[in-house]
Amino acid sequence: MEAASVAQNLGPGAELAGKYLTFSLGNEDYGVGILSVREIIGVMEITAVPHTPAYIKGVINLRGKVIPVLDLRLKFNMNHKEYDERTCIIVVEVQGQTAPVQVGMVVDSVSEVLNIAAAEIEPPPSLGSSSETENILGMAKVKGEVKILLDVDRVVGEGLLQQFAAQ
Amino acid sequence: MADGHKPLSDILDEMALKILMIEPGDLSIVGELLDLIELLLPGRAAADTPVVIQRMAAAFKGALEKFIMGELADSAENYEYLGQCITEMQESARKEGHPGENILVRFCDNMKKIGLAVDPSSLLGGTAAAFAGQGDEEDGLQAEDECLAAAPPLDSGSAQPSGGAGQESIPDFLQDTDLLAGFIEEAFEHLESIEVNVLELEQSPDDMEIINNIFRPFHTIKGVSGFLNLKTINRLAHATENLLDDVRNGKRPMDSAVIDIVLTVGDALKSMVEDIKNVLQNGPANYKDTDIRSFLASITQLQEGGAEAPPVEPDSAPEPVSRPEVFDAEEEAELLAVEEAAAPVAPARPVVARAAQPASAPRAEPPASPAARASADSGPKKIGASIKVDVEKLDALVNAVGELVIMQSLVRQNKLVSRIADPKLTKDFSQLTRITSELQRTAMSMRMVPIKQTFDKMIRLVRDLSKKSGKKVDLIMEGADTEIDRNMVDSIYDPLVHMMRNSVDHGISPPADRAQFGKPETGTVYLRAYQKGGSMMIEIEDDGEGLNTKKIRKKAIERGLISESDALSDFELNNLIFLPGFSTADKITDVSGRGVGMDVVKKAVEKLRGKVEVQSQSGKGSLFVIRLPLTLAIIDGIIVRVGSERYIIPTIAIQESMHPEEKNYSTVHGRGENLLVRGDLVPIIRLYEIFGVASTYTDPCDAIVVVVENEGRRRALMVDELLGKEEVVIKNLGGLDVPGVAGGTILGDGRVGLILDLAGVMASKAD
Repeated sequence: MEAASVAQNLGPGAELAGKYLTFSLGNEDYGVGILSVREIIGVMEITAVPHTPAYIKGVINLRGKVIPVLDLRLKFNMNHKEYDERTCIIVVEVQGQTAPVQVGMVVDSVSEVLNIAAAEIEPPPSLGSSSETENILGMAKVKGEVKILLDVDRVVGEGLLQQFAAQ
Repeated sequence: MADGHKPLSDILDEMALKILMIEPGDLSIVGELLDLIELLLPGRAAADTPVVIQRMAAAFKGALEKFIMGELADSAENYEYLGQCITEMQESARKEGHPGENILVRFCDNMKKIGLAVDPSSLLGGTAAAFAGQGDEEDGLQAEDECLAAAPPLDSGSAQPSGGAGQESIPDFLQDTDLLAGFIEEAFEHLESIEVNVLELEQSPDDMEIINNIFRPFHTIKGVSGFLNLKTINRLAHATENLLDDVRNGKRPMDSAVIDIVLTVGDALKSMVEDIKNVLQNGPANYKDTDIRSFLASITQLQEGGAEAPPVEPDSAPEPVSRPEVFDAEEEAELLAVEEAAAPVAPARPVVARAAQPASAPRAEPPASPAARASADSGPKKIGASIKVDVEKLDALVNAVGELVIMQSLVRQNKLVSRIADPKLTKDFSQLTRITSELQRTAMSMRMVPIKQTFDKMIRLVRDLSKKSGKKVDLIMEGADTEIDRNMVDSIYDPLVHMMRNSVDHGISPPADRAQFGKPETGTVYLRAYQKGGSMMIEIEDDGEGLNTKKIRKKAIERGLISESDALSDFELNNLIFLPGFSTADKITDVSGRGVGMDVVKKAVEKLRGKVEVQSQSGKGSLFVIRLPLTLAIIDGIIVRVGSERYIIPTIAIQESMHPEEKNYSTVHGRGENLLVRGDLVPIIRLYEIFGVASTYTDPCDAIVVVVENEGRRRALMVDELLGKEEVVIKNLGGLDVPGVAGGTILGDGRVGLILDLAGVMASKAD
């Protein structure tokens, strides 16, 4: 875990404390560990890739590098929203099968970088099935607002990096 | 281990290639096969490997171990059965782990022919554990683990590993991994130079300079390996060095016995260094100890026998007596290592003091210091200064330059910029273009290496083959300086070996037969490389028997590859030998020697996006032509439009493109669509359908079809429009692995285009 470097033995949320980049999807606010974020770019033309789930929008040219892009709204089964000038692609780096890979995530808008203390973090709520919460590291309450802290490796890693073998 | 993720089909393909390379008595390849098959064993295999394949793999491994242990005959026939077993495993893999009964029965039959009883039902039913039990009963897989533990990785006559030294040295030599990595790379170079020089020596056995050239690398390897505490390598190199020293000092002649032992020791050292490399990459658990005693024994034997034969100076007498101690006592080797490290300039043995010939001068070089390694390495062959560069850095450079070229064209096409009518700007732009393309060319050429390395290995191969078969063969190489992408060098080696072997084994007849046909007794094999129109060509030509076109035709009809009424030219008939159905099932001699495994060669070449063809005249010889792209980083492609998407089709696969005519279009049961192209029915693949995009045209007669060929199958791809031809840089899709798509590239407008993988496209249609 990236945030582990700032961890102190303070409680259940201790190892999650650290800096997060927050962004919004619909009415919800999310956060991803700042150490996995490589850059934030505006939305650009995306080349669709066949035989992939709908939430994988395709691939883009990131300064000569081809990287996959996934739409977080679709990934979390939310309604599709037309991309506008606030729509951003957050490029994160996660560990792939052999080497680290960069992946873009389309979000509605990027908010700010927050320093979240251990005391503000609570474990993810149980929503019945585990599959809905397994992407979530925890919930952070900052200034009365709730930010959902995402496990980027899970969100990006599992859905994306496995083979989409012809099934 | 990273290999664990290798796709099943790749492992099997690799095995198929290896089994072709096997020759009786050559157990090192059996070792390689063993490594491969272990990736498929229950517990080790990737999770999606069908259970039945895992079980077949277990049986296969049992057989391999018996070969190594000498319990089964190490004969060409048995290897052929093994090859068929691999074919059956491939077939099972193609059927996704649900092979028909008859494939399994055939598999077991072949195993039985080798002498290993396997029950077909055990491959299918029950759990893996039950199967293991079954194996025990039938003595097939008995004590599998013990077998593995006891089997030496490079069998040299004895089945006992030499224990102690190896296990102790694991932590020792891993202490300085940087030095070790440097050593591995250099050792490979040294060993290669040894081999080349030895072969040169065969032509002129008395050339002192060549003997020195062989001696020096052994000396360097000895020194550095001692320094790094690689005891086994050190001892073997040391012993060989001693033997060569005797030769240099005139104590024994340079005869074929010495040459043979130097070559085999070179091979053994190579595989030992390979092991070390493996340890370095995958951890100490992979350490294998190599038994070198038989090498040492035969060297000592040569030395003792050789030292008495020619007249020698009186003071040489005690030398051979004291020498064997060095090999037996482990402490001695350690001592030696310490000695060399501590006092690099001090001669390792008293012999140096006695040697008066000028030839011994290079030995005074400090063996263990890095500087010495470099100086010993720089032979007279290198012209101009050069530096070693990390391949990753090189790749990064090539990528960056590729981006630069694209960015430049983007800037140029910018609407505002292109409206500026400034002659200065136009001039500057064209200057910039020239510089960037020059930069790109240079960057690309940095990844190219001469094919000489690969060719040089063929000299040895042909020498061994002709010696073994009693045929006289001259190998003439041309264009060894032709450059090839260094990423391709390794992949082209195996197919090349197989084709060379075919040419010598089956193409060239024994001297007596050749005389009968009025040919010179010595056959000639040409190995040529040259560049032609953006491709690298490799030709293998022999003046042997050539292909028997009539037999090929007969066999093709038997196998249902062609029908009796098909009128094929000789050229077309000869090239049928590359079809899969033509191989493996029959004895090698059936098609006047050719045909076995040529489909594997073709597959390997196609993997490199190349082509292979044969031209042959019965009785006069054959010419195999391999056409390869100059680099794997760039592909020549046609850009096509389907709806709003653009795809790139590799040009090498394209045969033609056309607007189909109504009368040539036909369907089967209203579904399977075909197009009559020059008399052949070619199935139509609607690209928009399999890629799920909206296309402009849905009637094939409005659209354009591109006829492509891959692995012998032809398909007509239906697209909306041809946009043009471009050389594009291949990039991976950053973690996405999609059937039908080989990769992506950045097109001129900065967007990503997808490169089609034709095999995948054809497969997804077949589903």
